Amino acid sequence: MDSDTKRFRDAVEARFARQVESLTDSAELRTLEEGRATPEQCDAFIENVARAHLRSPQLLAFLYALAPPAAAADLRHNLLEELGLEDDAGRSHPELLEDLLAGAGLAHRLPDVAACADEDLRRIVVDPLLYGTLREVGLAALTEIVAFEYMLARVSGRFARALARHRELPPPALAWFTHHSEVDVAHAEQGLNDLEAYVRYYDFTEDEALTIVELALRENVFLRRYWR
Amino acid sequence: MRLVGATLYALRIPFVEAFGHSAGERRCSDSVVVRVRDEAGTEGFGEGAPRPYVTGETVATMLDHLTGELWPRVAERELPSTGHLAGLDAFLPDTRLPGVVAPHAARAALELAILDCMLRRAGRPAATVLPPRRPRVTYSGVVTAGPIDRAVRHARQMRAVGLHHVKLKVGFDDDIARVAAVREALGSEVSLRLDANGGWTLARAVEVLTAVAPLGIAAAEQPLPRDGDLAALRSAVPVPLMADESLVTLADAEALIADRAVDFFNVRVSKCGGLARSLAIAARAAAAGLGVQIGSQVGETAILAAAGRHLAAALPEVAFTEGSFGTLLLTRDVSVESVRFGHRGEAPVLTGPGLGIRVVEKTLRERAVAVRELGAER
Repeated sequence: MDSDTKRFRDAVEARFARQVESLTDSAELRTLEEGRATPEQCDAFIENVARAHLRSPQLLAFLYALAPPAAAADLRHNLLEELGLEDDAGRSHPELLEDLLAGAGLAHRLPDVAACADEDLRRIVVDPLLYGTLREVGLAALTEIVAFEYMLARVSGRFARALARHRELPPPALAWFTHHSEVDVAHAEQGLNDLEAYVRYYDFTEDEALTIVELALRENVFLRRYWR
Repeated sequence: MRLVGATLYALRIPFVEAFGHSAGERRCSDSVVVRVRDEAGTEGFGEGAPRPYVTGETVATMLDHLTGELWPRVAERELPSTGHLAGLDAFLPDTRLPGVVAPHAARAALELAILDCMLRRAGRPAATVLPPRRPRVTYSGVVTAGPIDRAVRHARQMRAVGLHHVKLKVGFDDDIARVAAVREALGSEVSLRLDANGGWTLARAVEVLTAVAPLGIAAAEQPLPRDGDLAALRSAVPVPLMADESLVTLADAEALIADRAVDFFNVRVSKCGGLARSLAIAARAAAAGLGVQIGSQVGETAILAAAGRHLAAALPEVAFTEGSFGTLLLTRDVSVESVRFGHRGEAPVLTGPGLGIRVVEKTLRERAVAVRELGAER
């Protein structure tokens, strides 16, 4: 679909933008930003963010295994960064999420949050697959990962400010959010390139690829993960 | 062993996206889940989906009927032996409710809960009462109402997940164009059925079905309202017909067979009053040479989905099976195990104790808009 890749990219980006708009317009985010969330709701949000991303290295490793040559270097870089092994990366992202829980006084919740994250991963493996081959499964998974990068580049700073203002979290606890607000601008752009490379390498037609993207984004993936 | 307590949960679980048909649009589930508890503390879960336009029941009438009529007549009574659906059917009282066709959603919910409880207490799977004839069930997809371009998108999604059978909701001004567009999106190898939910007149049904018949239509479900002349339509169009809203009771089944009104019965566990009555209707259909579809209720949870799967796996012949959408439709389901079908619509028979799923009571409480506790004392 060489001649269609620009149209595919634009269509995917438009769907990401709609999902982000739906998040930023949501009652859930407004409640958090306006300081109307109860402490329990704030804590649930923090735990859900940690649960959603605590096992991201495993998911990135899966995507790295499926990566087409043109996207392999990007995905390897993202994986090493998640693991805190890229140049000057410092702490791994799961460790930053642990810092978030600890800074919010929720360190004691880490075993339960980790167990939920493990169960989420387990269900991906044991639930019946919707698609017939890894080609489609990989596209659906990559779509969701890139959608989060696209969203975090635009909204994670707002999450951090809301939690600093209304939950009084100190900057070190918010490092996961601030890090993503900085690096994911590049990640999101690069992620769209990787999606293009993926559909080209694995010979998707535009219709076929967009259908899988739409299925992956049928509901707002951000609200589903952060406000369970 | 006797039942000593029950809890009713009126659920409201939002859908991932709205589900529309000619009789209305639904954005969340409105099932009622029944949890029963026996003297030993064993629990069982059942579910019914009240539909005013099908059985005539609503959530409110279902809750009241369970509370005032059904539960008092089963509480503290010795339960029948595990292993025979007929014994359980006889154990449940045959109740009526003014203004409704039959209080079948309430009966189904209680029947399933008691069956689940009895099987769990014995540590036995549903195969004890419904021995499966096949290891897996193959589900159809359903394309909902809405603009034609959205229907086409849904059809492409169903093709992407490899579904062999798709049903399209019709009953609108643009039906002929809608069917043509969806058929083109699906390709010729996918079996396509139509469901008008009683939304056509006889003349309109003849017009649409005659026009779309060359596109290859496996069946047209409930083309006319419940009291419509299906036999007249059947003799006028070259498309097989299926009864749904017209088929709630065994008496309905007998009347439809006597009138030679349809080619298929859509048997749904909630609509037909539970597994025992569904089996009886399916057996009657088979004896009359009719095909059977095991249908589902839009928005049903894993409980009714599990019951439907056991039924679909146990019958000698099933033309089509629907349901088990799980989190493809519900933002959250109620069981530990996913019941959602996978690629090609396939899903395995459930082999765990009882109905084969573990219901998460905490989820029921979180998603309930009303909860009623029922004790044994009268």
